[in-house]
Amino acid sequence: MKKFLKWIMDENPLFVLCLGMCPALAVTTTFENGYLMGLSVLIVLLFSNIVVSLISKVIDNHIRIPAYIMIIATFVTILEIIINTYVEPLSKTLGIYLPLIVVNCIILGRALSYASNNKVVPSIIDAFKIGLGYTFALSLIGLVRELLGNNTITIMDRISNLTGYIMKYEIFPSNSVIPNQLFLSPAGAFLTMGLLLGIINALRREDIK
Amino acid sequence: MEFGFDNGPHLKDKDHTSKIMSRLLMALTPIIIFAVYKNGLLPYLEGYTNLYGMLKPLIIILLGVLTSITVEIIYFRFILNKKDNLIEEVKRSYALFPGLFVALTLPINTPLWLVVLGSLIATLIGKLLFGGLGHNIFNPALVGCLFVIASYGALIGARGGYLNPMEIDTIAGVTPLTNLSNINYVGTWSNIVKPFGSLRDFLLGFIPGSLGETSKILILLSFIYLAVTKVIKWVVPVCYVSVVFVMTFIIGTMNNIDIFYPLFHILSGGLLFGAVFMATDPITSPTTRIGQIIFGLGLGLLTVIFRFLSPYPEGVLTSILTMNMLVVIIDKIGAKAKFKKGYLNISLIVLLICIITFSIYIGYNLKSNTNKVDDRFNIIEIREENNKVIYEVTQKGFKGLIKANITIANDKIIDVDITSQSETYWMEMENQNYINRLINKQDDLENVDVVSGATISSNALKAMVENVLADYEVRK
Repeated sequence: MKKFLKWIMDENPLFVLCLGMCPALAVTTTFENGYLMGLSVLIVLLFSNIVVSLISKVIDNHIRIPAYIMIIATFVTILEIIINTYVEPLSKTLGIYLPLIVVNCIILGRALSYASNNKVVPSIIDAFKIGLGYTFALSLIGLVRELLGNNTITIMDRISNLTGYIMKYEIFPSNSVIPNQLFLSPAGAFLTMGLLLGIINALRREDIK
Repeated sequence: MEFGFDNGPHLKDKDHTSKIMSRLLMALTPIIIFAVYKNGLLPYLEGYTNLYGMLKPLIIILLGVLTSITVEIIYFRFILNKKDNLIEEVKRSYALFPGLFVALTLPINTPLWLVVLGSLIATLIGKLLFGGLGHNIFNPALVGCLFVIASYGALIGARGGYLNPMEIDTIAGVTPLTNLSNINYVGTWSNIVKPFGSLRDFLLGFIPGSLGETSKILILLSFIYLAVTKVIKWVVPVCYVSVVFVMTFIIGTMNNIDIFYPLFHILSGGLLFGAVFMATDPITSPTTRIGQIIFGLGLGLLTVIFRFLSPYPEGVLTSILTMNMLVVIIDKIGAKAKFKKGYLNISLIVLLICIITFSIYIGYNLKSNTNKVDDRFNIIEIREENNKVIYEVTQKGFKGLIKANITIANDKIIDVDITSQSETYWMEMENQNYINRLINKQDDLENVDVVSGATISSNALKAMVENVLADYEVRK
């Protein structure tokens, strides 16, 4: 477990590289939104890494950025159509941030810096490492924000017509704790993000020592 | 040779620090005593509250101070691992002030756990996480206060908000500034100042407000003391207050409101308290003289903009926090302007243009608001609750607006509940049971006799009922 955590924290896009901050601040109002956004990024990253690593030799160096964007955009569009068809509530909550995965710098960054110079299998591993790290970070922020801001933890709500379950728990007894609405607003997102960034980097520094 | 770069304050010898601290405390002592007297002792003596209510302001202040000192001790001891000279270290970083100021900027009805939370946020996030004294960009106390007000404002409001136990019974509702924003910022002496007494009460501090901010006269005295002993920079508060005065004077004149309007704006809310104690914080305000002038002008401009154009009627807290962000730039301009007069002129001209344009813009817009009120009848909200329709309406009466909730059931008005009015001859109408007569004869309103001596007011009420019925017919 510790090894796994270290593996995804080593080059965590959010907490270490500080990439992909926009969806991290915007959609993470619940735990569910957090991990589903992370998983969407993971899926796109996986496929784009595979394709890029396969055809990187064919693409001329001058036009590689537009070409990679096209590849990423294809997968994002496919994902968006699938989500729109099968889980409509989810596409409503994720909103504009779902198509915006196209310009998410994590995916383009990995395509440019890793997948274009490596073979398929390492690229897949890299996609999982980065994608899981991002999912972990987003769900952590979502968890903290939802717990403090709404006193609940949502595991399955938007996707419930796909899975058939609704899993939404109230953590503290509702009359003893007054949730802090600030954490559901953008200001609370920045606050949570900054504090988590600080804590995790302090822990990492100790670990490296 | 190597130059050292460090954040202010640079004078760090022991004697100076403790002197600043004791002078600040000395200036704050009368304000604290007045807060305890006004919010605790006075209601207790008049029989409005019990012993706990009497001690509550004192408890809030002590709790705030204790929390911030405890947080600093824990932070220094366990996170920075400083073992020796712990007390000295905490003393040197002015540990008690964030908590004290948080307590003084909070309303009396704040629950105690919120005071602790606000003080904790102020000290930890506002100050220590930035690197301790001298490194924080925002005023710590205001960070804590904003956190509490922004996230639990409704909770505090439900417990009575800014009103102490005595004021809940004697003054209807709200703070002067909220009252002003409720009547769309234009009105006369009788509905702006009169509900809270006179301007003398504003000066002495017997109006609703947070713990420390009400007594303007004590704040002015401590400002003079602090300015003479050079603990604070006098430039910032003077610029700040004069800009607010000028802007509200222009706005008031454009709307034919007397000279009391700018005075009201200066004497209500936390303006003076913020200007004297928050905007002059040595760490989060500019160090150059020219920078301080720009800082003060910007603060005044922002405060007026926030007061008139945003839904929050206070504006001081947010404008100080906003200007805190710009201190670095302002100081750069200030340092350059010492040698090149152009910098100073350009920034001053830009600020002056902003000040004049914004005051004219706000003044003009308020005018169009008053024109709308001159249509006399206005529907604020229509609610439907179990087969009843409730109209929340206003009608212009003899003086100011009459606000009422009118309930309609089965196509008939069953209740007219006047929520606020400022009519001069209201008593005559109440004596004659005018409203009940209106309700009873609502099908034949033309034959309801007006109340002699209150013709305009009773005609206004009649028109209000007519308008509501007409609107209800149309909607049906």
